Amino acid sequence: MTPSAPSFVQQHRIALISLLALILLPFIVGVFEGASPLEVWSNRSGASKFIQGLAIEIFILALYALSYDLIFGFTGLLSFGHSMFFAVGAYLTGIALKSFGLNLWQTFGLLMVAAVAQALLFGIVLPRVKGITFALVTLGMSSVFHIVIMSRELGDYTGADVGLQGVIVPDFISPATERLRLYFVALTILVLFYLLYRRFVDSPTGRVCKAIRENEGRAQMLGYNTFLFKLAALILSSITAAIAGALHTIYQPIVSPDISGLGFTVTALLIILIGGVGTLNGALVGAAIFRLLDFGLRRYLGESASFINGAIYVLIVLFLPYGIVGTWQLKASLTFQQMRQGWRHLLELFGLDRVRHVSKE
Amino acid sequence: METDIILETRNLTKAFGALVAVDNVSIKVRKHSLHAIIGPNGAGKTTFFNLLSGNLEPTSGQVLFKGRDITRQPVHRTIHCGIGRSFQITNIFPNLTVFENIRLAAQATGRDNFRFWRPASHFKQYEARTWEVIEKVGLKERTFVPARTLPHGDQRKLELGMILAPDPELLLLDEPTAGMAAEQVPELIALIREIQSSGNKTVMLVEHNMNVVMSVSDTITVMHQGRVLAEGTPADIAANEEVQTAYLGGLYKLNA
Repeated sequence: MTPSAPSFVQQHRIALISLLALILLPFIVGVFEGASPLEVWSNRSGASKFIQGLAIEIFILALYALSYDLIFGFTGLLSFGHSMFFAVGAYLTGIALKSFGLNLWQTFGLLMVAAVAQALLFGIVLPRVKGITFALVTLGMSSVFHIVIMSRELGDYTGADVGLQGVIVPDFISPATERLRLYFVALTILVLFYLLYRRFVDSPTGRVCKAIRENEGRAQMLGYNTFLFKLAALILSSITAAIAGALHTIYQPIVSPDISGLGFTVTALLIILIGGVGTLNGALVGAAIFRLLDFGLRRYLGESASFINGAIYVLIVLFLPYGIVGTWQLKASLTFQQMRQGWRHLLELFGLDRVRHVSKE
Repeated sequence: METDIILETRNLTKAFGALVAVDNVSIKVRKHSLHAIIGPNGAGKTTFFNLLSGNLEPTSGQVLFKGRDITRQPVHRTIHCGIGRSFQITNIFPNLTVFENIRLAAQATGRDNFRFWRPASHFKQYEARTWEVIEKVGLKERTFVPARTLPHGDQRKLELGMILAPDPELLLLDEPTAGMAAEQVPELIALIREIQSSGNKTVMLVEHNMNVVMSVSDTITVMHQGRVLAEGTPADIAANEEVQTAYLGGLYKLNA
């Protein structure tokens, strides 16, 4: 059953070309800036460093959005507390490195434990609340975390409202001196998680997650203990987001309390809405567009950037309800009929289709 | 004689506040029989099914399946002990393909649900079972279309396929012909009859179509206002005075 080599390349043409482009990106940009690939490789000049940084930010955002797509896009769990998954990873890494002087591997171990623990915390309410109620309960949980992070009592560790500063990043992946290495580390982690996710959503477990998104009651009647599947998705998602958070801390290396707020959850939501909900590829494409658009508009428009930004997102969601990747996958121009179907699909995902029915009665 | 009973309820009662939807119902269902539940709207038939399948918890009373108490078992365990249930209102995964709908039903009773490192298509046993069921319910021409695009009659067949896939011993069919075009009904009934007799299965059926009920059932239980009004063979029921006045309105004559 293993596909022969040419068909494999053909099948994954776009993915392979993108990967190759990302591997070559720092060197190509270096050439334009007048540095030979060897110089870029040795990290001696500052060539292409800026682009590398921007790309690392996109990789981190993509990883984070991927984790949100798994629970929202595939399992149908609308969480408004997702930023907590990311922030726990970011703060834990920062505090472990700075205040406790742990090495990276110890930090990583701690991260895994914390990631599973917070998924279980969300899991406690899973069997009891559904849809928009789950969203609000998770918002509550992440808000508590946000308040704890901001509290003065823990200021020595978290930096309270100023943020966590002065994290000492191990030299071998320091964003200042070894940025190219960090670039490839981040890219590798993203690719590995992407492949894991692709596998997961097509596995027996992932198929059940999709069934839960479509019709949870029926999935139960088929004999699935849906709680366990939702929990599995949450745990995988939480681990991914925590690793994204850890990369964020290593790259920045300061942590702002903003990343634990609702705004950062909305960032994940926006990214997958732009890219396409429940497509995985959409998280990657969406993250790139989100970051580049923000960067570009800010650079050329300054203050009014966020307004234009918002308008563009509204237009995308309105006219491409399947997102960019989702529309691409329809392999046809979008008809009005399909757009309506797409809007309905989005409403269902947000649990708002039922609200409409209620108001009718 | 007792070992002949596959399902038994003892004083099963479900109250929603002051409304007693199912009132002290004790019935016995014989193995390999086709047992129909009839009654006017609001008689408590669907609520009764919900109690059997675990979708609702009874206020009091017991459900015994093959002598084992399954009264308070969570709904996702129902199929694992051998009871499959279909719904009056079509209840499927609308955006998944017909194939995937049935494949999910087949996978549920296997042991591979948490093998997240292998693609689902590698588990050939479920796909083979899915093809068998698709063939049986006659959806071969529409295997890979989203389930929501099926015409209503085919969605009812899909629903039936989803409960057949795990091969349960007892099938609870809640108005399997609901909303079907009249000319499609005999085909589905013949299919149900065939599944029951060739597969050695027990079928419980809620049905409004009296011709269907009278022609296929071995036993009929008549419910009225949550209670059992009468029970017996189709001939007994048709001859029962009380049933005639309460439900059939004296209009139904047994034409057999």
